[in-house]
Amino acid sequence: MDLYKRYVDVVLIQKKSGGIVPLYVCWENGKKYKIDRIISAERRASPVGGCGMRYACMIQGKRRNLYLEKDRWFIESLQP
Amino acid sequence: MQHLEYNELMNDKIIFHIDINHCYAQIEEMFHPQLREVPMAVGGHEEKRHGIILAKNGLAKKAGVKTGESLREAYRHCPELLIIPPHYDAYLYYTSEVKKIYAQYSDCIESFGLDEAWIDYTHSKQLFGEAEAIGHAIQDQILRELGLTVSVGISWNKIFAKLGSDFKKPSGFTIITKENYKDLVWPLPARDLLYVGPATERKLYARGIRTIGELAQYPVMHLKKAFGVVGEMLSDFANGRDTSSVSKQGIQTPIQSVGNAMTMIHDVDNLEDVRPVYYVLAEAIASRMKEAGVEGDVIHISFRTAKLNWCGKQRKIAQPTNVSEEILKEIMSLLEECYDFEEPLRAVGASVSGLRFTRNHRQLSLLQDEEKHEKALRIDEAMDAIRAQFGFHSVCRACMLLDRPLTDFNPKGDHVIHPVGYFQGRKMIPNGPL
Repeated sequence: MDLYKRYVDVVLIQKKSGGIVPLYVCWENGKKYKIDRIISAERRASPVGGCGMRYACMIQGKRRNLYLEKDRWFIESLQP
Repeated sequence: MQHLEYNELMNDKIIFHIDINHCYAQIEEMFHPQLREVPMAVGGHEEKRHGIILAKNGLAKKAGVKTGESLREAYRHCPELLIIPPHYDAYLYYTSEVKKIYAQYSDCIESFGLDEAWIDYTHSKQLFGEAEAIGHAIQDQILRELGLTVSVGISWNKIFAKLGSDFKKPSGFTIITKENYKDLVWPLPARDLLYVGPATERKLYARGIRTIGELAQYPVMHLKKAFGVVGEMLSDFANGRDTSSVSKQGIQTPIQSVGNAMTMIHDVDNLEDVRPVYYVLAEAIASRMKEAGVEGDVIHISFRTAKLNWCGKQRKIAQPTNVSEEILKEIMSLLEECYDFEEPLRAVGASVSGLRFTRNHRQLSLLQDEEKHEKALRIDEAMDAIRAQFGFHSVCRACMLLDRPLTDFNPKGDHVIHPVGYFQGRKMIPNGPL
């Protein structure tokens, strides 16, 4: 399965305790995808290039890896 | 696998040296994995003639591309070579992330450039366990979290630890102990040792010294006679008697000199044309010195001719300064004295050393025009303030407009990565603590 690196907008909550929780991934066509569950959050390098804090998320019943790379987000996407 | 006792003696240290393999190129590959499939190198701007290879990937290395060679030479070795312009901000960021991983295991970390560091693991062993396992754990963690491979060398001194990390790349892992160093280190060529450059190598060769082992066994007194204090130091290095310690993380050694160099956009064949270029460099040096709160009294110039020969000269001046006008005056005088423009100049550099903190008071000179000094200082300060608020290009001296492409560079802003020396301002004491 080929994966592609796509930078995306993310709606998140900045917690008063200092952490962040991503809530929605915003696609280019304006569609927002709700992040149903975060399975894990750990520092990882991505096979599509880049590295950062990897949030393994459940979105619409599928697992997707969302990365916070320095100060922006990308997702390992199935679409180029 | 070698399971050897590292600190059999109480005073034996456990030093790691970790080197990010072909650092700049690897960071580019980490971002764009497809670059691993083609010969690629990170290089300067060819059109601005800063065209040297800064780092290359494995395929480029196989094709014969060497770090430090010109882009033209690199293309000759590998016509299909892909050159990527450097992204220093990314290199600074990701190398600092690598060092944060080191910091999880020790607070004694000494950087040697962006991509290399020594880590003193001696006392951390009580907390984390055997050095060999931790060396592998650090390697794995960096690969897993940052996608970068590193080579690790472990030994009881910094010099052998560095040789260990150079032993195998990429992802090398070498332990040099008191039992195996004669087998591993001594057959290596003498030039692999820190502080043995081409000139020293030639001199050693003339004495029949080709390997580190031959250097180690050569009588110290002869080396001292030939190379001075450096000879004694090299003998200690070759015998594993380097006792220098790894600096604590965050400790900054005082700066020894402030300098800048620049390859010019075209060769320059007379004193007047090179003057504006040196003016830009002198301004950058003066500005950096004022920021650091220092002034210096040794002015050094260096330049490279069109045939790539390097020359240099220095002079001690009567009054320490950090004023660009005064630095430039000495630079031009030194250049006039030592070079006749037989060949055009390709690259120029200058630095100020003999630094001391700027004092509030100043010894007035009978010979120097103090009013002129004050005026030049105020001009420097005004220009620095304007540039800080409105950007580097918001103000410049009129002479720089004569050949704008030649002087259109910002040495202060463009060069954020400074080479470091092994001693980092500490005194060189053979066989003694630094």
